[in-house]
Amino acid sequence: MLRTVIGDLARLRLSNSASPSIVLVTQVREKGHLSRPRQKNPYWFVRQQRTQTEDLVTGENRNFINEVVHDTYGAPAIIKGIQTYEQKQLVKTPAPPNTDEQLWTPGLRRSGLIARKIGQYPLWLKNGERVRTTLLQVVDNHVIKYIPPEEYKPSQRPHVHNLNKYGCLLVGAESTNPALLTKEYCGIFRDSGVMPTKSLARFIVSPQAALAAGTPLNVGHFRVGDFVDVRGKTVDHGFQGVVKRHGFKGMPASHGVTKTHRRAGNIGGGGEKGRVWPGTKMPGHMGNRWRILKGLRIWRINTKYNVMWVQGSSVPGSTNGLVYIYDTILPLRKSKDAPPFPTLYEQPDAENAPEDIWYDQVHNFKDETITYKPE
Amino acid sequence: MNINGVILTNRLLQRCAVKQIVTFSTKPTQQAAAAVPQQQQQQHEVAAPVVRKPIVPAHYRFVYPEFLPDPKIEWRNAVREKLERLDMLDRRRQIDLPEFYVGSILAVTSADPHAAGKTSRFVGICIHRERCGLRARFILRNVIDHQGIEVAYELYDPTIQKMEVLRLEKRLDDSLFYLRDALPEYSTFDENMEAEHLEEGALVPVNDIKVVLRPRPWLERWERQNLLGVANMDQYLKDKHRKSAEKVQKPWEKYDLMKQYRATIPEEEQKEIFAEMHTELHSLELQRKRNKRKRSFVKPKHLA
Repeated sequence: MLRTVIGDLARLRLSNSASPSIVLVTQVREKGHLSRPRQKNPYWFVRQQRTQTEDLVTGENRNFINEVVHDTYGAPAIIKGIQTYEQKQLVKTPAPPNTDEQLWTPGLRRSGLIARKIGQYPLWLKNGERVRTTLLQVVDNHVIKYIPPEEYKPSQRPHVHNLNKYGCLLVGAESTNPALLTKEYCGIFRDSGVMPTKSLARFIVSPQAALAAGTPLNVGHFRVGDFVDVRGKTVDHGFQGVVKRHGFKGMPASHGVTKTHRRAGNIGGGGEKGRVWPGTKMPGHMGNRWRILKGLRIWRINTKYNVMWVQGSSVPGSTNGLVYIYDTILPLRKSKDAPPFPTLYEQPDAENAPEDIWYDQVHNFKDETITYKPE
Repeated sequence: MNINGVILTNRLLQRCAVKQIVTFSTKPTQQAAAAVPQQQQQQHEVAAPVVRKPIVPAHYRFVYPEFLPDPKIEWRNAVREKLERLDMLDRRRQIDLPEFYVGSILAVTSADPHAAGKTSRFVGICIHRERCGLRARFILRNVIDHQGIEVAYELYDPTIQKMEVLRLEKRLDDSLFYLRDALPEYSTFDENMEAEHLEEGALVPVNDIKVVLRPRPWLERWERQNLLGVANMDQYLKDKHRKSAEKVQKPWEKYDLMKQYRATIPEEEQKEIFAEMHTELHSLELQRKRNKRKRSFVKPKHLA
């Protein structure tokens, strides 16, 4: 259809230049809806792992390849408790101006972080209350690319109000040896100066919160006491019955009950409503879904290992699984004062800064035992 | 457990002799063992600088079981475990958390907003000890005014102000939940009990007392649990109980090496963990000993 119109217009122009004549636009019904381009994935959705074949490479050559990797990206190193490479040639963004406090306004969207859930243990508040916390370790995050709002036209639109106002920030986590990856995947990182990473994530950010490629993101991006949303993929339980999946009670084990101990029982009435209503809780696949836990307070931060202690013990996903951390969208829990914006750049006096940052209400284990004052 | 400990120390001694590692331990047996290889080492290595590697006493895994992480492999993470251990040490610097076992009699003083004077002291027998890391907890049981009372304490709870071991001993079983079904005198302890002194370096005594159970109904099917510390189990069992208990026994499990491997932290890893904590824990122990001596000297019991 489109092609015919273009063809007609071209003919029109020709006819204009040559001799005026009647243009006859014939409507052609085609199966255009069939040949329309499919929904396109973002360009960074490419195959990541190269097929591992037995390359008959001598040990010397293997060493040479490793040497090349080390020459381009630096020697392997453990940075903040994570096995990675010293990437000294990274594009370091210039220090932000001192007026960064004024840059921030309440409506702005900042970048998020990629983290791993590393476990959970309790902390105690100063009033003696026990809180269960989950530890999230920010794993070697670097900005890969910023796509401004004009260029960011995703075919699968994320659920963000006024999407055309926001750009897209591509963040990678956990550097890895590029020899294990495909050429296409490594191509994503070519202009960033960053080593190819194991995982990528895109964050919808305001143009003011854009970051230069190569900027490292640390746990200092968030402050103690702030609220965050944590997104992760829940543990895959496979196909499960109603007792496990929806917490049904099942039926008695004895007293004449036969063949129906963990079954749902009735699934609907008769008469007018004589059918299975949509949304009825039934057996099915459980877990392996993206879920967001919202409004979790950050109780404590460790800058040495890039770890944050977050309220609750039901962060989606398994231990050592990836999660994504965002500023909360809950209106009453959004931060009222300026967070590090667009992010916390590396401070010159970072060595003197405290390693562990505790929220005011949390009891530091180095402090004395909690006592209550007699009235 | 005791026998295991002895075997382990023996093995350790052999290893010390072979590898010639210098030990720094307060335990007299190991000091003696360390002295022998030290001499050999001096002869052996004259030019090379002597690298003094502290070796961890073998009893640490019984004294500080909560320093060993949960062996479930899906839950493990090196960074988390390290942070947790550091927090535990920080807490231990604030409060003296003594060595105790299931069967020991403890007195725990904790801050309590609802108690008069804002503190409460509870004396009882430790009937259970579980979990690891900062989640470690134990249950104390006592009978007060003919009413059985149990209190579950978290070991690293910062509201705990003082922990005293009044009697350091072990029992025949790993957990003493059967005291709930035993006659009350077996879990009755005097609140004003005085701490019993145990010779330094002596082995922890095992109390082989056998408790007398009340008749059924019981809270659990004790006959299935192979308990050693119960005297009159047979009195209340019928044949059907014995048969069903026989059925659920799993005598082959003690030969299941994989099961054992999955349920424990390997010895090498234990050594690594305790080597990290050793100097700190050791200095805390010395501090405790010093305090003990001071306390016993300052407080005269009988006034003239």
